[in-house]
Amino acid sequence: MRLEHVGRRHGLRGPWVLRGVSLDLPSAALVRVVGTNGTGKSTLLRLLAGIDAPTEGRVTGRPARTAYVPERFPVALPFTALDYLVHLGRVQGLGRAAARARAGEWLERFGAAGHAGTGLAELSKGTSQKVAVAQALLADPALLVLDEAWTGLDAGARAELDTAVRERLATGATVVFVDHDPRRLEGESAVVYGVEAGGVRETEPEAPGRGPGPGLGSAAAGRPEAAAGVPAGGPESVAAGVGLREARPGPGAREAGLLRGRTGPGSDVRLPGAAPGAPGARVRIVVSGGPSLPGRLPGGPAVAVGDGGTTVLTVDAAHSDALLGTLLAASWHIHHLGTEGVRV
Amino acid sequence: MTALLRYQSGLLLRSQRWLAPLLLYAAFIGVGVQAGEPVLGALGFSAAALLPVAAWSVRICLTQEPPAARSVVAAAAGRGRAHLAALVTGAAWPVLVGTVAVLAVTAIGDRRGVGGLAAASAGLLAAPACALTGAVVGALSSRPFLKAPGWSLTALVLGSLLALVTTGSPAKYAMTALVTGARTATADPPWLACGGALLLAAATAALACRATARLE
Repeated sequence: MRLEHVGRRHGLRGPWVLRGVSLDLPSAALVRVVGTNGTGKSTLLRLLAGIDAPTEGRVTGRPARTAYVPERFPVALPFTALDYLVHLGRVQGLGRAAARARAGEWLERFGAAGHAGTGLAELSKGTSQKVAVAQALLADPALLVLDEAWTGLDAGARAELDTAVRERLATGATVVFVDHDPRRLEGESAVVYGVEAGGVRETEPEAPGRGPGPGLGSAAAGRPEAAAGVPAGGPESVAAGVGLREARPGPGAREAGLLRGRTGPGSDVRLPGAAPGAPGARVRIVVSGGPSLPGRLPGGPAVAVGDGGTTVLTVDAAHSDALLGTLLAASWHIHHLGTEGVRV
Repeated sequence: MTALLRYQSGLLLRSQRWLAPLLLYAAFIGVGVQAGEPVLGALGFSAAALLPVAAWSVRICLTQEPPAARSVVAAAAGRGRAHLAALVTGAAWPVLVGTVAVLAVTAIGDRRGVGGLAAASAGLLAAPACALTGAVVGALSSRPFLKAPGWSLTALVLGSLLALVTTGSPAKYAMTALVTGARTATADPPWLACGGALLLAAATAALACRATARLE
């Protein structure tokens, strides 16, 4: 997706909010937009989501399935939460049954299943926001635009949204977000765009301990029992993991992000005991899940049977991300991740 | 598009915002149409009364969503398509109500000199002509063109009046055709007015749908 000399002003003669913005939005990447209040972050996001058309310049290559979460969603619509989600699911191209099933699933995941039959007008601000987030995730969007979507969510729902974002990324979607919390999905953004004085410039990703390359965050399929299997903060797993980032302290243990083990120069994942990115490095992934592995696995991994009904896959580091993405998409649980030869 | 129309209709019907314009129309018909009066004149009146009602209904559909909900739908379906769905919903319900009114008025009116079928077909062309002209007034007098509610309502009322009396308006043409027909007892189906209103409505819809993402 590409923006060419895009400018946007309010109305016909209003002041320019953004002008001369040219950027290439990377696909399958997390994109963070930063800037102080009133600089045009939301305007940029609305242009990306296709809600507003640019006054000048053009936007090309927007995926058909685009979803947007506004910052505030206390809308008084005459629908129940579930009916609203079914309507939105159908607008996004789902069938009636699929829309209803997905709506129930997402409400459940965000802990709002009890409010499925409540009218939107009667929902609390936080629950409204959960509905807003659920509608965006209903139909697996290829472009997800989050304008401070975390604001107003409780801690569980915030973590769940982080997980959902990582799942979207693992399936190749682009996620663009603004959040006032600088630690939100820290170190996972591939690109950071700074908005100031009506312009947009690319800035260095803020993350400590990683190179400027794309960071693909992934977590085990977002379900508690799956997440529990991920070694989050143990020193052993950190020592062993190629690109397994230690979760930040606190209740974010289940958010353990798996950073992309980059190959070639520029790789700078500072982990002791491993040589990430070195040519020929192999990665061991211990997984469990469905009756059989997904049909085509990227990188052609060697498959072996592990302890306790697990499966051990060994693959070149270059293909580990793609493989993880495929496994997560098929709802497999990732137990361990490490370089070949290191016990995990 | 079907999903968008269903969503917009759901909003309109569940919010009970449809009730006020429908009551207005019922009042117009109740006051202006008596059983046993010449059918073509009564049909002309009921078509004319549809114009402000359709304008109001379109305005309701364009403004019934809070901005946050509108943004969400716009991202999912495209801003232009979302706007078009609101316009079509706002115009379709008055056309439906007008059709029912035409059939009812034809049934209770005095059909001497004109056949029931000829009268009904003339009425069934005049009603959409007036409803679509009203929809054009509604579309042009609300967002994205006029956002302030005061100006918007003023433009809606004045526009509806002007659309009924200005020469060249399809609604005026259709209404005149029926009222003159009532005097001479000849039912002349206003094909041209209906086609003109359809073209006008399509052009307005195209303009409004393009403008909405740019002006707002």
